[in-house]
Amino acid sequence: MIVVDRLKAIVGAGGWIDDAQSLEPYLTEWRGRYRGRSPLLIAPSSTAEVSASIKVCAEHGVGIVPQGGNTGLCGGAIPDESNEQILLSLNRMNNIRHTDVDDFSMVVDAGCTLQKIQRVAADLDLFFPLSLAAEGSCQIGGNLSTNAGGINVLRYGTARAQVLGLEVVLADGRIIDGLRSLRKDTAGYDLKQIFIGAEGTLGVITAACLKLYPRPKHCNTIFVAIDSAAAAVRLLGRMRALLGESPQAFELISSRAMRIAERYDSTLRNPFDTASDWYVLTTVNFETSALENLLMSEIETNGIIEAIVAKNEAEAEKMWRLRHSISAAQKNEGASIKHDVAVPVSRVGEFIVSVEFGIAEISPRARVVAFGHVGDGNIHLNVSQPKTQSIDLFLEDQSAITDFVYRTVDRFSGTFSAEHGIGIARKEHLQEFRSETELSVMRAIKSSLDPQGIMNPGKVL
Amino acid sequence: MLEIDKLEKILVGLKRVVDYNVRVRVKADASGVETDGVKMSINPFDEIALEEALRIKERGEADEVVVVSMGRTECQQQLRTGLAMGADRAILVESDDEIDSLTGAKILLALVEREHPGLVILGKQAIDNDNNQTGQMLAALWDRPQATFASELTISGDSATVTREVDVGLETIEIDLPAVVTADLRLNEPRYVKLPDIMKAKKKPLDIVPLADLSVAPAPRLTSVEYTAPEQRQKGVIVDDVAGLVAALKEKGLA
Ligand SMILES: Cc1cc2nc3c(=O)[nH]c(=O)nc-3n(C[C@H](O)[C@H](O)[C@H](O)COP(=O)(O)OP(=O)(O)OC[C@H]3O[C@@H](n4cnc5c(N)ncnc54)[C@H](O)[C@@H]3O)c2cc1C
Repeated sequence: MIVVDRLKAIVGAGGWIDDAQSLEPYLTEWRGRYRGRSPLLIAPSSTAEVSASIKVCAEHGVGIVPQGGNTGLCGGAIPDESNEQILLSLNRMNNIRHTDVDDFSMVVDAGCTLQKIQRVAADLDLFFPLSLAAEGSCQIGGNLSTNAGGINVLRYGTARAQVLGLEVVLADGRIIDGLRSLRKDTAGYDLKQIFIGAEGTLGVITAACLKLYPRPKHCNTIFVAIDSAAAAVRLLGRMRALLGESPQAFELISSRAMRIAERYDSTLRNPFDTASDWYVLTTVNFETSALENLLMSEIETNGIIEAIVAKNEAEAEKMWRLRHSISAAQKNEGASIKHDVAVPVSRVGEFIVSVEFGIAEISPRARVVAFGHVGDGNIHLNVSQPKTQSIDLFLEDQSAITDFVYRTVDRFSGTFSAEHGIGIARKEHLQEFRSETELSVMRAIKSSLDPQGIMNPGKVL
Repeated sequence: MLEIDKLEKILVGLKRVVDYNVRVRVKADASGVETDGVKMSINPFDEIALEEALRIKERGEADEVVVVSMGRTECQQQLRTGLAMGADRAILVESDDEIDSLTGAKILLALVEREHPGLVILGKQAIDNDNNQTGQMLAALWDRPQATFASELTISGDSATVTREVDVGLETIEIDLPAVVTADLRLNEPRYVKLPDIMKAKKKPLDIVPLADLSVAPAPRLTSVEYTAPEQRQKGVIVDDVAGLVAALKEKGLA
């Protein structure tokens, strides 16, 4: 392919790979669910190289698949099987371009890992709130392209809320230099918003101007054993009423999710002596003793069974490690049908009960593993294979289970796609659950920004 | 030697330090380490010391566990945490001055003379200055045996068997009580604190003793001149081959 040679020339030695073995990790989704083929991966080292590369692809009508840390859960960063799409990795664009303490902002290349950004902020005695289990390897460009959520959405909002400005290379190679750090700017359409959550289908994000926050004071981490998901929602309501916006994270863990995590990593253990049906892990930025008084008054009266307050950061970290290992731990439990859904916060309890009940009717011994960001109404409702059933037999029920979950979500006025995005995994469901009017506007945006359909072809729409 | 078949009292020291997981930052004026708005916790080795004392008590081998801290009034927070873990009462020797290891050991001696514990357990060192001295100094001043770097501790009547982590491996010694033991990392894993215990701890006795009352005058022998952060590590370079490596070493004057 002539495109391949031209692209290699643009990025230069060390900027591309084309042998099957080195390409392998970039062609497979981390759980091995999705596999694709590609003749070439390019890793440009500057915005100018990204732009020049895309121009060449546009000229030849060749598809481009942007890839960040490849931790996405919907196959969005994996090329198709045609062996014709070029992978564009942001791995080599990983510098912090600029920090401004007084402006509470920083400008970063899209290939910086989330963890690097958090650390740079901490070194400035500031805080970057986006946080999720994959933070060591996912990149900010990927986070923004999927509008990632994570654990601190409750207080700080999703990835979208952290963006002041973006630099984007369009499908024809032109560059939008929108790296303004303004908090207010009503000059026309807010173009950056369109690329956030677009999963690489409208352009390549090459840099972002991010919002920083003061470091939260009084970080208290508390593990709560509680008798129902509904009680967890009530507890959150009480905390917000009495402590304002101070709950930073509020995560729900079912007893089964807890057991799976313990089995997965022997250094993790349930901090409570006796097991209960549900747990909440919360980080609250409020003065300790007021918080203790509030929780104490909730104990026994409102379904709280027991609460443990981390007495140092090492304990807090251990508790969070338990929460963060749940996703990975399910890999060890056989096949798992995953749903990343959200319903109105007030209805989480009722929703989980309905869904568990319905799934039991479809696949009686399937193990429902529910956990997630209950403060955002976002539940990861995964259904693991029964221990005594073959994978194939279990997966026969997959579409019945997923249909049931999504129909229930719809009944609760929720969404089938809370924070992981559409990719290729949920394309059909997007067609099913979004109105024709909404879909036609999405298609119009896509075709005007990418008339040739070369940006991440076949994803989302 | 007085006969004891059960220890009446164990004294445990709890030092307030910058939390182990916090990245320490030097103050802008280089006068010390930033503690303003920084998470403070019990020195981790002291927490292990307390856990051991509590286990001894729970086995019925001691009657009372008393936790002690020395320093500013904020140390009460760490003492309350100790009480929530299960200590029976707490003493804060209050002082706004910096307390160095020797002053600390003298203060502990004054408390030992008041409280007559059968055993004092301290952390092997505090993670703020890493001095590793207070336990040894206390034992010397008190003129009682010491067993430092303990990874195992059993009490039998008026003696204790202690496994110590030493440079060449493990050493097991027997010491007469009363004595000073300092806790190493592997001695135990401290318990979590539960909310009802935190609430109960708020009502447990906490005595505040002004340092002046103990007739120990702080006599600091060290003056800190300046604090600086360690130099940033230079980014590594990848060399292409052996020749490149040799050239790079030569350039740095290393070959
Ligand atoms: C253990 C684990 C836990 C997770 N927890 C959460 C969670 O709590 N919350 C949550 O929201 N997500 C979570 N995720 C999934 C999450 O979407 C990704 O981790 C992350 O946001 C994607 O970043 P990435 O760099 O890996 O992107 P990739 O996977 O590489 O790409 C994701 C999508 O973005 C596109 N893309 C990537 N970079 C760019 C760019 N620079 N320009 C344009 N398009 C681009 C890709 O084409 C693809 O469509 C989790 C994943 C794992 C493995």
